[in-house]
Amino acid sequence: MSNWSLFLSFSLVILAMLVSKKEKLFLEKDLLVGSIRAVVQLVAVGYILKFIFAQNNFWFTTALLLVMVLNAAYIAGKRGEGIKNSHLISFGAIVMGLSVTLGALIAFRAISYKPSQAIPVSGMIVGNAMVAVGLVFRSLKQTFRDRREEVEVKLSLGAPPREAAFSLIRESIKTAMLPTVDQMKTLGIVQLPGMMTGLILAGANPLLAIKYQIMVAFMLAGAVTVAAYVASYFAYRGFFNEDFQIVS
Amino acid sequence: MSIIVVDNVKLNGRDGKVILDGITFTVEEGDFLGVLGPSGAGKSSLFKLLNRLLSPTSGEIYYRGKNLKEYDPVKLRREIGYVWQKPYLFGQKVLEDLTYPFRLSQEKPDMELIYKYLAQANLKEEILAKKPTELSGGEAQRISLIRTLLVKPRVLLLDEVTSALDTENTRAILDLILREKEEKNLTVLAITHNLEAFNFKKVLYLNAGQVKYFGEGKI
Repeated sequence: MSNWSLFLSFSLVILAMLVSKKEKLFLEKDLLVGSIRAVVQLVAVGYILKFIFAQNNFWFTTALLLVMVLNAAYIAGKRGEGIKNSHLISFGAIVMGLSVTLGALIAFRAISYKPSQAIPVSGMIVGNAMVAVGLVFRSLKQTFRDRREEVEVKLSLGAPPREAAFSLIRESIKTAMLPTVDQMKTLGIVQLPGMMTGLILAGANPLLAIKYQIMVAFMLAGAVTVAAYVASYFAYRGFFNEDFQIVS
Repeated sequence: MSIIVVDNVKLNGRDGKVILDGITFTVEEGDFLGVLGPSGAGKSSLFKLLNRLLSPTSGEIYYRGKNLKEYDPVKLRREIGYVWQKPYLFGQKVLEDLTYPFRLSQEKPDMELIYKYLAQANLKEEILAKKPTELSGGEAQRISLIRTLLVKPRVLLLDEVTSALDTENTRAILDLILREKEEKNLTVLAITHNLEAFNFKKVLYLNAGQVKYFGEGKI
């Protein structure tokens, strides 16, 4: 694709702005700012990635992954406002999800730890783990509010907090995993995922693109499960005090 | 030595509202104590304090001479069993609720004991296969009581356990409680409005979070 072709594709944003103006959606400014931001951010990332890929340095790559994880942990942690140590838990859960999945892929020689492979793959893992951790927090907050009585009855019978909250923990993990499971079920039928589309557009053999996409699907299932599991088993503790009472 | 000593206990709600104010009383081992008073007097909150689901804002509670705070909450709650006013059953089937105490103590469920309690509570064994939502209020109350008895507590806190029962089933439940009390020398504290059936020899009367009467005889 030439730069000129890319530039012409901006006409589609202009079309959106015209619709917005005609229908009085008042989104023209947002559309303009959004597209400029997208261009600036992506160009910046493109240059950063080009630099890091050229360095091919273990520490540079690791530092970039850490920045990704920190950002994701911050965003997921915000979903857990009110839960003790939610940012720390998000960080731990995402790091675990990333380490286990990336480690496995490298061990199986599916990819290698070079920036051009580790960074995009980690981006997908971290992004999905972030969503999963956010869902765990939301589910726990919701179920501890809705099913407080169930937990208290179990506590009153002499159940330790983990046992008393067991069904809530299980539900939160399931809630976090379901979107990924559903996505796996519809892969190739309802949607052609981003990575595969990108590879095909870039001229890769569709069969190779499919191989990578299958790897991504499996990897995300693993990452989401590990992150959700770690997050829920640490986060539920924040709902109890040292006397094993539910905190308000 | 008194089995329970409640010493000048005060409890404030989340909003700072006083729920219990300077509560003091003692319970002897084997007592059958009626905890009486109008709605909102703080009776259920007192039971939650004894079961340590809540902690006093000030004052102390002792169980067998030791401050409640010094006990492992899990062990204490198995010693001081609490039957809730609203019988919350959480299993998919009733069987799951009644085997839960065994799961907690990591023991094999004693089905003979479960059948025995069911019979004493006027319930058929078929109830075990039912979903909690299929039970009547009275059936759920009895299952909830049996569930707590299966934890084998030394003290039993009963919060309106016969409120949804007819005369016949109230009698069956009372017989079951009194038999357990005699056989195991249980200490029983019961909140009820059915004074006639319970026939307490000792009562604690609360009103607006304060003890208005504590002693032998009836109000």
